[in-house]
Amino acid sequence: MDVSELAILIPVLPIVAMPLILLLGRLFNGNEKWKGLWKEGGTIAVAVLAIVFVLSMWLIVGHVAAFTEGSGDDFVSDVGDWVTYSLFTENGDMKVQDFGFGLQLDHISVMLLFVASFLCLLIGIFSLGYMNTDPVNENRNHRFYAEFILFCAGMFGMVLADSFLWLFIFWEIMGLCSYLLIGFYYERPSAAYAAKKAFLTTRIGDVFLFVGLLIMHAVFGSWDFAVVFDASNIGAADAGLIKAMLLLMFIGAVGKSAQFPLHVWLPDAMEGPTPVSALIHAATMVNAGLYLVARMYPFFSAPAVAGEFTDVALLIAMIGGITACMAAAIAFVQDDIKKVLAYSTMSQLAYIFTGLGAALWFVNKGYTELAAFAFGASLFHLFNHAMAKGMLFMASGSVIHEMHHAHHELAHHGDDHDDHDDHGEDHFDCQDMTNMGGLASKMPITAIAMAAGSASIIGIPLIGGFWSKEGIVGSTWKAVLQDGGGLFIIPALLVLLTAGMTGFYMSRMWFMTFAGKPKTPVAAGVHEQTPFIPIPLVALTGMTLAAILFAGLGFAGWVGDNANYLSIGHLPSHLMHEIMHAFLAVGSDGHSDPYLFIVTWITIGLSMLVGPFYAMALHGGSLAKGEKAHWSISWLVSLSGKIRRKYNFDNSAWSDSGISNALKRRLYFDEWYDNLILKLVVPFALAAAWFDKRIIDGAIKGIESGSQEASKGIRQLTTGSARDYIMMAALGTLALFLLIWGLI
Amino acid sequence: MSETRSRKAVFEKEFTVVATLVVLAGAFLLAFPMFFEDAVGDIDWITIPMIAFPILGSLILLALASQQPRGMKERMAFPVKAASLGFSLFILVISTALFFGWIGSIDWTNIKLNEYRIDHEYTWINSLGISWHVGLDGLSFPMLWLTTLIIPITMISTWDEKSSWYHHPLLLMMEGALIGVFVALDLFMFYVFWELTLIPMFFLILKWGGKDRRYAAQKFFIYTFTASLVLLLAIVTLYFLQNPSQYLIDKGVLTGRTFSMVEMTSSAQMAANSGNTWLGSSMQNALFLMMVLAFIVKLPAVPFHTWLPDAHVQAPTAGSMVLAGVMLKMGAYGLFRLPMTLFPHALAEYQDWLMIIGMISLVYGAMVCLGQINLKRMVAYSSVSHMGIVLLGIASMQPLGFAGAIFMMFAHGIISPMLFAVCGSFKHHYHTLEIGSLRGVAKTSPYMGVYMMFAWMASLGLPLLAGFVAEVAVLVAFWMEYGWLVLLPALTLVITAAYYLWSMQRTIFEGDGEVILPDTMGDDSPRDISPWENVGNILMALLIVLFGVLPWIIWGMMSSYADAHFYQHMGGLLRLVAGGA
Repeated sequence: MDVSELAILIPVLPIVAMPLILLLGRLFNGNEKWKGLWKEGGTIAVAVLAIVFVLSMWLIVGHVAAFTEGSGDDFVSDVGDWVTYSLFTENGDMKVQDFGFGLQLDHISVMLLFVASFLCLLIGIFSLGYMNTDPVNENRNHRFYAEFILFCAGMFGMVLADSFLWLFIFWEIMGLCSYLLIGFYYERPSAAYAAKKAFLTTRIGDVFLFVGLLIMHAVFGSWDFAVVFDASNIGAADAGLIKAMLLLMFIGAVGKSAQFPLHVWLPDAMEGPTPVSALIHAATMVNAGLYLVARMYPFFSAPAVAGEFTDVALLIAMIGGITACMAAAIAFVQDDIKKVLAYSTMSQLAYIFTGLGAALWFVNKGYTELAAFAFGASLFHLFNHAMAKGMLFMASGSVIHEMHHAHHELAHHGDDHDDHDDHGEDHFDCQDMTNMGGLASKMPITAIAMAAGSASIIGIPLIGGFWSKEGIVGSTWKAVLQDGGGLFIIPALLVLLTAGMTGFYMSRMWFMTFAGKPKTPVAAGVHEQTPFIPIPLVALTGMTLAAILFAGLGFAGWVGDNANYLSIGHLPSHLMHEIMHAFLAVGSDGHSDPYLFIVTWITIGLSMLVGPFYAMALHGGSLAKGEKAHWSISWLVSLSGKIRRKYNFDNSAWSDSGISNALKRRLYFDEWYDNLILKLVVPFALAAAWFDKRIIDGAIKGIESGSQEASKGIRQLTTGSARDYIMMAALGTLALFLLIWGLI
Repeated sequence: MSETRSRKAVFEKEFTVVATLVVLAGAFLLAFPMFFEDAVGDIDWITIPMIAFPILGSLILLALASQQPRGMKERMAFPVKAASLGFSLFILVISTALFFGWIGSIDWTNIKLNEYRIDHEYTWINSLGISWHVGLDGLSFPMLWLTTLIIPITMISTWDEKSSWYHHPLLLMMEGALIGVFVALDLFMFYVFWELTLIPMFFLILKWGGKDRRYAAQKFFIYTFTASLVLLLAIVTLYFLQNPSQYLIDKGVLTGRTFSMVEMTSSAQMAANSGNTWLGSSMQNALFLMMVLAFIVKLPAVPFHTWLPDAHVQAPTAGSMVLAGVMLKMGAYGLFRLPMTLFPHALAEYQDWLMIIGMISLVYGAMVCLGQINLKRMVAYSSVSHMGIVLLGIASMQPLGFAGAIFMMFAHGIISPMLFAVCGSFKHHYHTLEIGSLRGVAKTSPYMGVYMMFAWMASLGLPLLAGFVAEVAVLVAFWMEYGWLVLLPALTLVITAAYYLWSMQRTIFEGDGEVILPDTMGDDSPRDISPWENVGNILMALLIVLFGVLPWIIWGMMSSYADAHFYQHMGGLLRLVAGGA
């Protein structure tokens, strides 16, 4: 059997599993075995995801192997026509076309397929621990797993789709699952509100994307990648329309990836259970927008449109820069651990947008080598970020879960007469970092994982995101130097600044949670004890630390220009080259670029020294007496304690300032949007309803009552008296005669 | 003891009645080909099994039940209901067998325009040139199949309706009348069935409706009846505009004229293909406008839509399901069958006006939806909004747009009954339709919550559910004709999502762990929906998924009809329009 025949199972298996889980859940909820062995459907979901992971790895390994052997053709499998239709063309001919469905795997999607299948599996395992041990979820976990697995199907389908139509279809399915899962606790008004907000905000983007796709269909007559990416087709098309199409598609990406100005939904989306935040709102779905922009690459690289779309690319980089900086600033003042991570996600995705913008700009300008480098770095950052952020969310989930547990124990002292006050009634917030502190010794695995993840996001040298972030910052600054790239100075400065800010807020989160003494009795009673949760944390810590290997294998270069780097034999020499490039800015010609060198070291300095230093000075602290953290992080905790004691800043002026207040209120975006809806859309809708009832239907009622009045008037003639009738008959006869004689 | 025995006896009697009826009907339908097979072996599967059978069957059932003494009528409910359902299932089996070619082995694609399958003509009123003429093509067959599908589902969903001993037969009668509209190839016959559909619906609203049912039933009847008078006027004008033909006079037709749609279509076709305007352009325009007026009232389109929300809000669940699912399609079907086929020049001339009316219906309808506080009213206005898409597809003047419009009719035909079934469940179990008067009922009625979510999502055009295909097809075609105007319908998709999500948030969600029940509940405890409602909803959900994932099952014949409509008939003319020359 060939894997190409089985590839269709990757999206189909989870879709089939979804109704199955729902049905079994309805049948067996309350059954001990269903709860214990089957984990209320979790076992089925994880088993399906494991099969999918194996199938995906089969595809991926086959693809990479074919590639390194040199035959590097993309995997393409045409499944069939969906609908066939006809159109009239300008010259009056009839054209028969179809919306086909098929699968495709190339150097862009192969990486995303790995990210998706790997993280879906790990987060599925995590959910077994996280969801099934919480009594609140009892008898509703089947719903969680069903929606979860449908989401996975959407993600796999989107990655594997070979046309923009099917990309959009699966894109929307992910949106639906995001809605359902954010609103998993539908009885909480905040969750119901957040779900609606997420769906509608992304739908605004989706609608523009859809219009972009309509233009694409009008321009190319197809949505298949094979047709629309053909350079000669692009050359033959109207460049103005393609530009409009690219802009509209970018709005869709902005909505899905929560970029300014459609970013408001992501922080609220944290109302969903933590595995959902980890999977959908950090590691996979929010990458869909990036994937879409990455997919636009051929539109920029076609020789016929060289130099035409530089402003679109610049806009993408600008939006990226603005969002990166804005989200990082808001993350400064968040106390909710998941909200910090949400803003961090937004900010890191924005980094990737900036990098992609630079790549698209380069390629449209004709600097193919720079473009390939920037493109590879951006997608590598996507990979690193997905791994690190998925893990960070799971680690935060671990913290929240154990806090919850400790709070529960503390609140009840063993007597469990009242066990439904876990949510809502008491006001202890298990996600608030001001309630935590000193967890480094109590939750060693979580603390180490979170340290590794944070280091990856910050870009601490040699760890995870460092390898890719340097490339993005460097590329953006390179663009400034090129002819016509002067405006890139804005995103370039913004991402450089954001590097330092990231250093601050990520360190702040870690130190507030894990360093110092416990700030509440609950935090003092925390233990790491839930099964299944540590597995994905350990696996992803490994992936984060292994980024150096991927860098050494030339991962970024491979993704960037589809060149032949991936080979174990070249690992040592290539790794050396990468290190020289990363630290000394040595290019492929063997010479160091002084400009890049300066940018690199400013970035490293800001992110590794300045940011974490301020965070330690404000939020650091040694552990309580007798507590001891694991060696790999204990030095960090004690260092923070020392710095805190030495530079004890007075922070009150800042935290009372207007800026801080504005940041806490998320720069008022939510309030403006709410006002817009309340003051504009709602009154307009009510006015429309009034108009319909009073004016349009009123007119109909007017006709009705008018005719009744008229008939009442005519009825007066029916007097019932014979004299009147004879009179009328006579008058009528007379009138008839007059008519006949032609007198009137 | 004796009471149970007598009950048992009654049940046995009931059962015998049902079984006999159903077996007789089945035997009749099985034996049917033997009697009605004509010389070439072509069987008229329409006249007797699909029109006469349901209408006569319902009359017999009604007569049977009404002859019972007072106390027995309610007892007759079960056999009458079961027989009605059994009859409609027989019809469904026949239409499905026709669909997939199990009987008659009919290929529903590749039908030329003005060529019909199962085409049978019988003399009816010969002296006036009226005949009983039935036939199906790629446009009418989906509508017929939809009718045969929705009626049994409606019967199942509303199984527990009170006084059901004449509720279900009325639905059966409705089925015969609706099928008559879709298969008629004679204008007189078309008009007769067009009006006949009003009667069972009128009684459904009047008998089982809400508080203002009297007003709503009258408004529904008078409004749409007035509009059809315009249609009648157009039909009569068309009739007298013909030149009397000696051939017909010799055959005994006193006027020498005919009501045959086939004849008229071929005249129109010949004229258009030889570059002429049939009947002259001003007469074409006048007749086109009259017919369009009659049909967009039924569709309905703004500003002639206000009968719809009133009728829906007052109508019982079954009435709403059939009204939204099939009756509204009569308007769109009529547009395709008559004005668009007969008067292509006028269509080209008024293309932009159709677009404007469709656009207003779509955008304004969605805005009004957002301002509603009654669940059923909101859903009713959403029908107005979605039917606007049909007009946009027509106005796009592309085969794809036509096919998309027909698919929209079909998709809306399976989605909107589900919307109304959910509304019906609300009314039935929570005694209210006011959005915001209850919260968190997904907890007490999980099935209802799931169906609501599903139906709402299907209606807002979620991919892989039926409505999406239609929207994509129509909007692709729309862009090709009107370009950037497509932003308006596209942005309406956001409004659509907004009102649907908003209504869910304020009914089945929220509540903070408590279920907030409306005052109208009194002391009733909340329940989930009944097994019958469950079955109906599941069937509709399966259909919506089926045609969303595998649209080509039925898309092929629609697309083929749309191609034929363009290529064979109005070919030269519409190609010029579509080409913008």
